[in-house]
Amino acid sequence: MVIAAASKVEIIEADNLSRPIDRYGFCSVSFGMVQATKDRQAALRRALGRIEEAGGGERAHLPLGIPAIDGALPGGGLRKGCVHEVGGDAAATGFCAAVLARAGAAGGSLLWLAGDGRLGRLYPPGLLRYGIGPERLVTATGLRRPGDVAWAFEEALRSRAVKGVVAESPPLGTTASRRLMLAAEGSDVVGLLLAQGTCNGAGVVPTAASRWRIVSAPDEDPGQGGSERRRVRWRTGRTAWRVELLRCRGGKPFERIVRWEDERAAVAESGQIPCRI
Amino acid sequence: MQNLTKNLSRPAGQAASGRRPPPRSVSRRFLAVWLPWWPVERLAGRRPEVRDQPFVTVSDVRGRQVVAAGNRQAVQAGLGPGTSLADARAILPQVVAVLADSSADERALESLARWAFRFTPRVALAAPDAFFLDVGGCAHLFGGERALASEVRAKLKGFGLTSRGGLAGAPGAAWALARYGGDDLGVAPDGAGLAERKKALGRLPVAALRLDEDVAAALASFGLDKIRALLDVESVQLTERFGPQPSRRLAQVLGLLADPLAPLRPLPLREAKRSFAEPVSRPEDVQAAADALLEDLCETLRRAGEGARRVRLVCHRVDGRPQALEVGTSRPVRRREPLARLFAEKLKQVAAGFGIEEMTLTAEAVEAVVEEQLGWTAANGPFGGEHAGQGAASGFAAPPSAHVPTRTRSESTRAGEAGLGQLGGLEAGESARALAALVDRLGNRFGFDRVVRPAPRQSWKPERAVRLHAFDGRAPQAREPGAQDRSRSTTVPPPDSRRPPDPWAASAWRGGAPRPVRLASPPQAVQVAEFRGDGVPVSFRLGGDLHWLRAAEGPERLEAEWWREDAPARDYYVFEAEDGRRYWIYRELCDPARFAASAFAGIRAASPPRWFLHGFFG
Repeated sequence: MVIAAASKVEIIEADNLSRPIDRYGFCSVSFGMVQATKDRQAALRRALGRIEEAGGGERAHLPLGIPAIDGALPGGGLRKGCVHEVGGDAAATGFCAAVLARAGAAGGSLLWLAGDGRLGRLYPPGLLRYGIGPERLVTATGLRRPGDVAWAFEEALRSRAVKGVVAESPPLGTTASRRLMLAAEGSDVVGLLLAQGTCNGAGVVPTAASRWRIVSAPDEDPGQGGSERRRVRWRTGRTAWRVELLRCRGGKPFERIVRWEDERAAVAESGQIPCRI
Repeated sequence: MQNLTKNLSRPAGQAASGRRPPPRSVSRRFLAVWLPWWPVERLAGRRPEVRDQPFVTVSDVRGRQVVAAGNRQAVQAGLGPGTSLADARAILPQVVAVLADSSADERALESLARWAFRFTPRVALAAPDAFFLDVGGCAHLFGGERALASEVRAKLKGFGLTSRGGLAGAPGAAWALARYGGDDLGVAPDGAGLAERKKALGRLPVAALRLDEDVAAALASFGLDKIRALLDVESVQLTERFGPQPSRRLAQVLGLLADPLAPLRPLPLREAKRSFAEPVSRPEDVQAAADALLEDLCETLRRAGEGARRVRLVCHRVDGRPQALEVGTSRPVRRREPLARLFAEKLKQVAAGFGIEEMTLTAEAVEAVVEEQLGWTAANGPFGGEHAGQGAASGFAAPPSAHVPTRTRSESTRAGEAGLGQLGGLEAGESARALAALVDRLGNRFGFDRVVRPAPRQSWKPERAVRLHAFDGRAPQAREPGAQDRSRSTTVPPPDSRRPPDPWAASAWRGGAPRPVRLASPPQAVQVAEFRGDGVPVSFRLGGDLHWLRAAEGPERLEAEWWREDAPARDYYVFEAEDGRRYWIYRELCDPARFAASAFAGIRAASPPRWFLHGFFG
């Protein structure tokens, strides 16, 4: 596959790069060689990206709608047709719901495989603010036996019947993870695996395309309070999440604080806190 | 005859509908199988060592052990029912006695009767030692009714059971012939006139009418010991002297009065069947046979314009223990592939034992299917994007009760429009079918009550605000607010209810206060640790952890319905802890009645308010 892609690149890029390669690329000693190699690498990367996104970037990646996050992800969003792992506290559920809603924005059903209830009972009225209405959601509840969630997740990914799946799962073995990867391959399903328990480095799915950790964050700068620390206000702030990308195939880990805006039903960058990369 | 019908026209308490003669178009034929040695032969099958010995079953009658049934040797030695065990032991010291177990006998008889489903779809029990087969219309499959009866008897003999058969046009007559006919197979000829039937049955004793004991005794005291004798008595006199039973039974036995059977299971709606010359046991063979059966069944369904919602596969094994598998679907299906995929998982569970000699596939629940047209405004059209020839179901097929697809085009169109206008449309076409298939696969593994769609329910109590209803291929979206079909009913509808959700409840989800993404069930008790003078909560303690609050929002008072007395009202707050996590915490208000009582007693707030954690915000 890779070899085929590379040979294709040569053909595609032959026109654009013909002159520099002819002049420097194949000369053994040249001051321009470094530059040429860089050019060549950049061209290869571009071409590879184009091949990966064959059928349109829109289809292959799901943008989250925040430039700061999408820009840091390869392809400008969560890759479709693979499994992403999300861990954290209850905010992870909200994040999954928001991503799921985006995945199903163009229509289509969404599936939520609730596990053994270790994360608490999923409450559909709370998902509504993230854009998941009851008309699109199908839930499977109480999948208690080990392997149930993995089986159902695989079935859902394979079936192409839903636009997005969230599965609450305990850690999966290598075999189960590979099966999930193969099941999702080639589809436009966004598979989210909501890790039961805390997600600290060691992943739940070894083959996850990306691994996230989402925790609640205060909407403001925590240092601001100072002496008024004990003053409780009668109005809660906006929903804010600390979004950490722990691992991503072809991308760099980062950390951001984002805010959920109910009015727009979208994630927005938190303005008050400087983003830390 | 004239007398009989005339006098029977004024029955005592019998429904007039029972009077209608059975339909003439299909001649009804019943095979009654009587097992004269039933309990002992059943037990002997378990204990081969007693086969050649005198063997009795005993039961306790008023503290005495009395023989209930005996095998041939025992009965020949005079150990009939009613002999006390002590006497039996005195007569025949080597007799083997086993405690009678009538309920086990009954269960075994029922499973034997279920075995007989291989011959006919209608089987009924006639406890304690007989069963009926309705062989009308299916005897020709076995080479005629006599051949069928002898095959049944031969198979029973293979199980070690002696049997006698009776074939007649009425169940009562068949039973009488089997029980009292004296032959191995008593036959009242098909299509015989009343005179012939009277002649065939006349020689039988009165007991063949299955009369109550006292009635039979009363008849015997008048010297009416044969049915022939009863035929000579005028029916009105019979009724006057002996009650309605003898004349009614007589009419039933002669086929003049309907004698309804209670079949062991409802008539399957569509059925396919395969018998094998040699028993099969390899999984591949079973799979192949199941595929062929599915093909047959789907063809039948297609012709009938129906789709199956529940399909049952029964593998009849050589040892007479059938194995049954069942799959359900969320929408009526009549294509082979989805059903085959559902069965593929379950077929692994079939234990072939010594081999399977017959397999039947029945559609236990069917629904009418509206044919769909391919490509006609696939996204918007009420008929989705379905090829008529492929014939998968649309989501708005007829209600489950409709077995006969007699809907007109206009009806179905109306249903389609209703589906579009009021239910927010169907998920049309390919993806809807794929979703239904996925739900079927999940449902058959986890149970269809687990694969659900959440829908709003009209209740302010958060735990009750969600109703999970079974997936049936349609979106549970609320109707337009203008559509006034507001139902105040609070009874929980059955999971497959097709009633659209209440618009009130849908708006209750949407508007207003925030709701958490996770519920703690049950709510966890928390200590709200500190208050200032104005009642502002400052921190709370959950488990061992102390959470300081940044903000609190509320209260939102939610009360349970007034008819639920046990639930006090709750004041809900959103607590935002310093780390940014939000919790949904409520304070339980005390019961107003109790509060009033304590106020009268001069005690205010006898106990401190109780706080509970009920949810987590995302």
